[in-house]
Amino acid sequence: MLQIKNLNTYYASIAILRNLSLHVRQGEIVCLIGANGAGKTTLLRTISGLVPCSQGEILYRDRSILGLAPDVIVKMGIGHSPEGRQVFAPLTVMENLELGAYHRFGRAEKTEIQGDFDRIFQLFPRLYERRRQIAGTLSGGEQQMLAIGRALMAKPNLLLLDEPSLGLAPKLVEGIFQAIVTLNQAEGLTILIVEQNARRVLEMAHRGYVLETGRIVLQGTAQELRDDSDVQRAYLGKDYAQVTER
Amino acid sequence: METIERAPLNELLQLQMELLQSTLNRVYNRVPSYRKAMESVDITPEAVTSLEDIYKLPFTTRQDLIANYPYGQFAVPLRDIIRLHTLSCGISNPIVMGYTKQDVAHRQGLTCRFLSASGVTADDIVQICLDPGMTFLAQELKEAAEAMGALVIPPEPMAVQERLRILVDFKTSTLITFSSYFQYLFAELAESGIQLANLSLKRVLLLDERLNMDVRKEMEQEFAINILCGHGILEAVGPVMAYECEKRNGLHLAMDHLIPEVIDPDTGAVLPHGERGELVITTLTTKANPLMRFRTGELTRIISEPCVCGRVGWRMEPVYGRTDGLVQVRGLNISLNQVDEFVRRGMGRLSSNASLQAVPYVMAVRKERFLERLELWIAITDDFFAGSLPLLHNWLRDMEMEFEDAFGLSCRMRPVELCTLESYLKQGLRVIYL
Repeated sequence: MLQIKNLNTYYASIAILRNLSLHVRQGEIVCLIGANGAGKTTLLRTISGLVPCSQGEILYRDRSILGLAPDVIVKMGIGHSPEGRQVFAPLTVMENLELGAYHRFGRAEKTEIQGDFDRIFQLFPRLYERRRQIAGTLSGGEQQMLAIGRALMAKPNLLLLDEPSLGLAPKLVEGIFQAIVTLNQAEGLTILIVEQNARRVLEMAHRGYVLETGRIVLQGTAQELRDDSDVQRAYLGKDYAQVTER
Repeated sequence: METIERAPLNELLQLQMELLQSTLNRVYNRVPSYRKAMESVDITPEAVTSLEDIYKLPFTTRQDLIANYPYGQFAVPLRDIIRLHTLSCGISNPIVMGYTKQDVAHRQGLTCRFLSASGVTADDIVQICLDPGMTFLAQELKEAAEAMGALVIPPEPMAVQERLRILVDFKTSTLITFSSYFQYLFAELAESGIQLANLSLKRVLLLDERLNMDVRKEMEQEFAINILCGHGILEAVGPVMAYECEKRNGLHLAMDHLIPEVIDPDTGAVLPHGERGELVITTLTTKANPLMRFRTGELTRIISEPCVCGRVGWRMEPVYGRTDGLVQVRGLNISLNQVDEFVRRGMGRLSSNASLQAVPYVMAVRKERFLERLELWIAITDDFFAGSLPLLHNWLRDMEMEFEDAFGLSCRMRPVELCTLESYLKQGLRVIYL
């Protein structure tokens, strides 16, 4: 579904992503793990067209999308739920969701969009309760639900999720992850997820990539990565200090 | 068939590209010898942006692996290694291969793929007959077959009659062995008077491709069995890196674990698919001991057209020769350079004449009832030997013992007169097959 070949992204003259290649198949949850500053968020932002300075190839359904405007990319079916949620604080929950469906507004789609509201409220009943509330007053977890809901309103085929668990209480994280699995299993949504919580995301994802300073250094099925000593040391909290060096 | 075996080629090539890049990123930072090799040709991992860019990378040889004894080639800390193998190279340092837990799992997965491509299922009774020198292959085959749920009879040192008894009484349905041992076993079988009707054998899996296709067909008909081949090298990815499908149009390479190329053995130039040359492989999934453009020394050809069986990856033709003076005897690799050195050292002990030139010898691979046996014919000249005959016999016996220690295979030492060897040496023959 998504194929990336030799992507190089720069902020000014500094290379953030170097020769990065990855792929996501239809129906998969693929996760990206890596330390802060490895380039995970930059990668998602490059895919959705928010970071312009890039070389390489990004193919979505065999069509090149590199260099297209973000709105065109959203229309093609790539939704993006950004890091730190970034909901429109002064607007209500409903208005935020409506904005997510902005590119679909038209007479014909009206009932369809109505149906989508129901779908999202079903997934996140909490949002229904707060639908008239100003988004800025929601809790962190609720804002995250809203950010995902807003991305879903664009009816994406591929959802890019950036750190959905950031700053959330463990219980809320569980709920968000549950919803992600539901979206993938029940609706067949393809998901590329960036996550700090490597342990939890590797339980949920099918495959994963490990990013280090803009380069992919490891990849495999989630099981393989979970069992990998490098991943365990770097991201799952099993440090060298805990074992005697042979 | 596994999904990856029939994945569209572009998907496979994308996967190869990703795996190649991440492997290079790892080895560049972690394996000094690879880094040095890459720096010597002014290449960084960033320069590899397509699969063709692999041609810019330097080759790795067996000598490099030996030179980095013991752990110089490892790309992970030792504590991540859960298994070590040493591949004896005769009298030099051995090649040390380490595997992480994941490497072991990949090797097992690939071995299972070979077994199931050959038709082995959980209902099979698998008998493995390999020489003691091949213990680690036997071990991996055993583990894979067990993981598939098959009943496994691992190899144990026993007489051929015992093995035949097991073959019949235990109703073996799949036999895994080498071609020469297989022929030997079946010649014994024919003589033993065992009724073929008592045999439950369905297939024989050979770990080399040295059985002539015509002989193979003949034997298949005579015994109503399938004979399928797998091919592997000891240094990479598992007992089998390429395997035959039921169509037998060459051996399917495990393209998700390695990138194959064929080069001109003299110039190192990459040859287009279809041309014959030396096989070079780059491992993609190996974590502990990644191999970058490893020269296998095997002469073959890559077939890139898809096979009618539905597998899309490339295939290789059965290996038809070697470039590196390695002699394969019963699945073991013996390097002639190492034998040279072995003989030279041996001579040194017999003769105090330090200015002695290299002593002529010829290695003979004798097939006794299909089973390969090794002999060294050493020319005994007056130059270095003037002692008594008992002394010579003792020396020969010592040499035999030392050879077995060094190379893992017994070898008869035969003293011959120089004139016996002359006809071979004139033709440039160092190894003769009897």
